[in-house]
Amino acid sequence: MATTESDLGGPTDLSEKEQRAVEAQLLRLADDELIQAERYTFWQVRAPTLESDLSISNNAQDELGHARLWYDAVQQLGYSEESLIYESDPSDFQHSTLVELPFAEGDWADAIVRAYLYDVAEDIRLSALEDSSYEIIRNRTSRIQGEEGYHLEHAESWLDRMALDEEASERVQAAIDELYPYALTLFEPVGDVEADIDRLGIRTMTLDEMRTEWETRVESFLTELGFDVPTDAAPATPAGRDNEHTDHWHDLHEQMTSSYRNLGRDEATLIMADDDE
Amino acid sequence: MNVDEVKDCAGPREFSPKDDLPEEYRKAATRMLEFHANSEIMGAYLERPFIRKAPSIERKMAFSAKVQDEIGHGQMLYRAAESLGIKTREEMLDDLANGDGKFLNCFHYPMESYVETPMIAFFVDGAAMRRQATLKKSSWEPYAHAMDKICFEEGMHVKHGESILRELMNGSRREQRMTQEAFEEWWPRILQFFGPTDDQSTHHDFAAEVGLKTCTNDELRNAFLNTYIPKAKKYGLEMPDEPRIRDNGDGTYEVVEDDLDWDEFFTVSQNEYDGSIEQISGRRQAQEAVQWVRDMMDDQTTTNSGPQTQAAD
Repeated sequence: MATTESDLGGPTDLSEKEQRAVEAQLLRLADDELIQAERYTFWQVRAPTLESDLSISNNAQDELGHARLWYDAVQQLGYSEESLIYESDPSDFQHSTLVELPFAEGDWADAIVRAYLYDVAEDIRLSALEDSSYEIIRNRTSRIQGEEGYHLEHAESWLDRMALDEEASERVQAAIDELYPYALTLFEPVGDVEADIDRLGIRTMTLDEMRTEWETRVESFLTELGFDVPTDAAPATPAGRDNEHTDHWHDLHEQMTSSYRNLGRDEATLIMADDDE
Repeated sequence: MNVDEVKDCAGPREFSPKDDLPEEYRKAATRMLEFHANSEIMGAYLERPFIRKAPSIERKMAFSAKVQDEIGHGQMLYRAAESLGIKTREEMLDDLANGDGKFLNCFHYPMESYVETPMIAFFVDGAAMRRQATLKKSSWEPYAHAMDKICFEEGMHVKHGESILRELMNGSRREQRMTQEAFEEWWPRILQFFGPTDDQSTHHDFAAEVGLKTCTNDELRNAFLNTYIPKAKKYGLEMPDEPRIRDNGDGTYEVVEDDLDWDEFFTVSQNEYDGSIEQISGRRQAQEAVQWVRDMMDDQTTTNSGPQTQAAD
């Protein structure tokens, strides 16, 4: 890709319009990863076996690590962790509503199906960002890609196993029917900024192209395992990307920020060393 | 080997699954390991809500990693226990779920506020570190071996707890006051972590004679108090007037036992305290909800009908 010609440079090189587009791409990455991780942690000390507990904890921590990298990239544009997460309004977040839905206790099929639908989308999104015209996105994407490959394998191997069991298959099918429309919201636009994101080369695939590839991959894999895929479903509402969320998100945000508020904090603690590019 | 021979040969890492050991030894070692493994799981259960409630992304990551480490410790310790041939892991986990499995007193109490987290992660884990370091010399080699990795990770947990405590005690006056209150509430339980004084302990004698344990409760309590009273003071915590602790001036302390609630302690250790019932049944409910997944995996193993490629975990 001829990214060098149109390279946007670093945080201080951006025009107002460019910054708005970069921010919009970064914020959904950060918010999706944080809230997906947050919901994964529900399964810590609740997973079916000690081994599956360890695996899902790994995924949660990987996603938290990615969220941290993306929020850090947003912060380079003049924001803070406090303003982005702990002192923000729930409606400031732009994650897809797929990742904010709560898990019912015991619904491991939901956890695996959600992970699968999300991880395929994440795989496609990262390949659309690996040649981004914004260097920080390019570099961080390549750091993240290795771990995401493992997540996809994890979800697929559980689906392989559950497809062989009648009761588990029914649970998986129910989760697919429920979650598919929410997963489609991953490809919904954030306001009118998408054309700029594409035109500036911040992302090398449009949302439509990404969704088409996702639908093809998801349908082919799940159909092969004997599941029905509701391909004619419309994206769920609220979509999340448009800052409209389910009540579940408001509850989750309230819990996530409860200690920060109760302690009267005005700073989110940093304990790790800074990352060098 | 009979019990007398075991007592004669007992030394650090002396016995392994290839030795023919008497049932009395194997039962005593199983009891210790099962208690330890259960405590890891129930400690993780107690701390898990703070993954969500942690007040920054990096703290959240640290809480998630700590809870995961504890599940990993449980896994290692159950394996070391299983190798004694008395109980399977499944039996031990079932006993923990149905209220028969025993675990550390401190993990029977509810934890509501973030300011309580260093009471576990700094003081209780610090106390556990004292005990665990001595278990590297346990006569059951798989136990001692598990301790090598566990002690390393516990060291990280104590640092995490210390960092939270330091931050709270350098925070607003409100944070300091809330932390002091939490300390006063938890301190007697932390002192009871080491159990009653030696002359009241029932299981110690045999475990010591066969080298499973290498230190007495009193020695461990003294070592803990020597290090942690100065640390608590350094961070600005005030020692409560009660329970009274007499400094003998020679590195030893006497805790006035009458100042501690031993009825409560024994209720806790029988899993009959309100908190015990709540924690145990909360975890049991979560485990029953995913029983269908374990049934599926067992069925696929039994009938060899699982996926042909490597199994998911």
